[in-house]
Amino acid sequence: MPIKINHLSYTYMKKTPNEVKALDDVSLEIPDKKITAIIGHTGSGKSTLIQTLNGLLTPTEGTVEVGDFVITNNPKKNKKIKELRKHISIVFQFPEYQLFDETVEKDVAFGPKNYGFKEEEALKKAHEALAKVGIDESFYKRSPFELSGGEKRRVAIAGIIAIDPDILILDEPTAGLDPHGSNIILNLISELNKSGKTIIIVTHDMNIVMNYSDHVIVLSDGKLAFEGVSSDLFNGDVSNYSIEIPKLFQFCKLLEEKGAKIEISKIRTIDDLFNQLKERK
Amino acid sequence: MNNLTFGRYAPFNTFVHKLDPRNKLLMMILLLVSIFLKVDSWSSTLILTAFLFLLLIAAMIMSRVSFLQLFKSLSMMWFLVIFLLLIYIFIPNPNYNPEHIAFYIGSYAVNYDAFYQSGYIIFRLIMMIMITMILTATTKPMDLTYAIEWYLSPLKIFKYPVAHILAMTLSIALRFIPTLLDETQRIMKAQSSRGVDFNKGGIFKRIGGLVALIIPLFVSAIGRSEELSNAMEARGYNPYAKRSRYRILKFSWRDLIAFISILAIFGGILTLKIYDANFIKIDFIYWIFGAKPLF
Repeated sequence: MPIKINHLSYTYMKKTPNEVKALDDVSLEIPDKKITAIIGHTGSGKSTLIQTLNGLLTPTEGTVEVGDFVITNNPKKNKKIKELRKHISIVFQFPEYQLFDETVEKDVAFGPKNYGFKEEEALKKAHEALAKVGIDESFYKRSPFELSGGEKRRVAIAGIIAIDPDILILDEPTAGLDPHGSNIILNLISELNKSGKTIIIVTHDMNIVMNYSDHVIVLSDGKLAFEGVSSDLFNGDVSNYSIEIPKLFQFCKLLEEKGAKIEISKIRTIDDLFNQLKERK
Repeated sequence: MNNLTFGRYAPFNTFVHKLDPRNKLLMMILLLVSIFLKVDSWSSTLILTAFLFLLLIAAMIMSRVSFLQLFKSLSMMWFLVIFLLLIYIFIPNPNYNPEHIAFYIGSYAVNYDAFYQSGYIIFRLIMMIMITMILTATTKPMDLTYAIEWYLSPLKIFKYPVAHILAMTLSIALRFIPTLLDETQRIMKAQSSRGVDFNKGGIFKRIGGLVALIIPLFVSAIGRSEELSNAMEARGYNPYAKRSRYRILKFSWRDLIAFISILAIFGGILTLKIYDANFIKIDFIYWIFGAKPLF
């Protein structure tokens, strides 16, 4: 399901003294079955953008097309929103705050049950999702509130994965986690992408953007500032977007300046760099 | 969920906004009392109520409170209207008068008085909502708590210095209402992503959805309160210490004008009440429906 956004605007608290224009005439496309990163400083409209994608916010102007679904600025025309949410799900920032049930497996099965799966099927889906995020059977009957922060987050993400959406949106999934915990989640994201899901990830971490994303969108003050691949972004002028260029990219750039024949646009991880250097030898 | 934003502070710069919060609080209480004073005859009461109603509308226009918000909050009252009507229809009427029967339900007589009484109550409730809306839309919550603290400060004389503690509790509670509302919205959105529909579905489904909202909300609220108390203690907060304040409340000429006019209105109505002045005696029911006089 490709996503197409046409002239999207969104205004908070419209017609009050506190009016804020969060998105201003944004048009872009998010490619199917790829990992897209959305970046921008706080208040640039990232969270607003992802919430319009599955109809949690109704656009003030413009439309969002997700496959056959079209979200317009007329809430009465936006039927089938629930059907749409089955295909496109959001993992919000700090998703551990959405846990509520008595046991881990029940909590994860909550989503599938809401979408009409029977108790047993929902539990089966829950177990599959928990296995994907690396939570083993000994946790199934425990209360989600007694887990550690990283485990809670993985259970909460499993709660969304269990719905089995085609498009998965993650809002800063690694915020507040230790390196080990964030690695688990990032590996999970790239696994999910390989199994054919479209991933949209909101992040401030440029290393994630470089290592994982196929497509990058930069928002600045509610406007689209950049759309393309990460190497083009890092090569260009980034001084306006408060972006810190990853160390690996800087290193590759220096290598190229010193005369090493490498293709920077194809390098995403240290392994890529190593392989290219090995081939040159 | 948007109904909850009713009466939120709106940062304009009108006459009412500039008034001292202590004064506004006192004037609000005076107005509330005058609304609930009932002069002996119905006709006089109605005329007084209509006068107060016009006054409140003028105050709303003056303080730029949105009428749309008022109508929104009133739209939640239809249930109350029906409930009150039912009560007044089915409790025995002490002033039973066969001339006042409007119609029969089976063999049960329904009096005009039932509509009259419930209508009057609803009208007074609407005016109450208007008054509180004017107060909360023109006064910052913090200023309101300072006003309450000021009114409670005489308790010190009785060796009962709770004014500050109460005011602090109140201001923290008020401060966290918007935070908790934001939190509610956030959790609602997260659970909507998991297929909860808070607006549709049968009663059991909706209750299930509410559980998924309330439990995370409580968990975060309790966690937040513990964090807050730790943070306050870490900064050396002591409820019994004497504190200085950034905002200083001032009683200006505006306050004097407003207070004197409200006091005059209140005094006038109170005088009418005490002397049972039935300055006008028209039976409105007689007028409209041609039934015999009420009292």
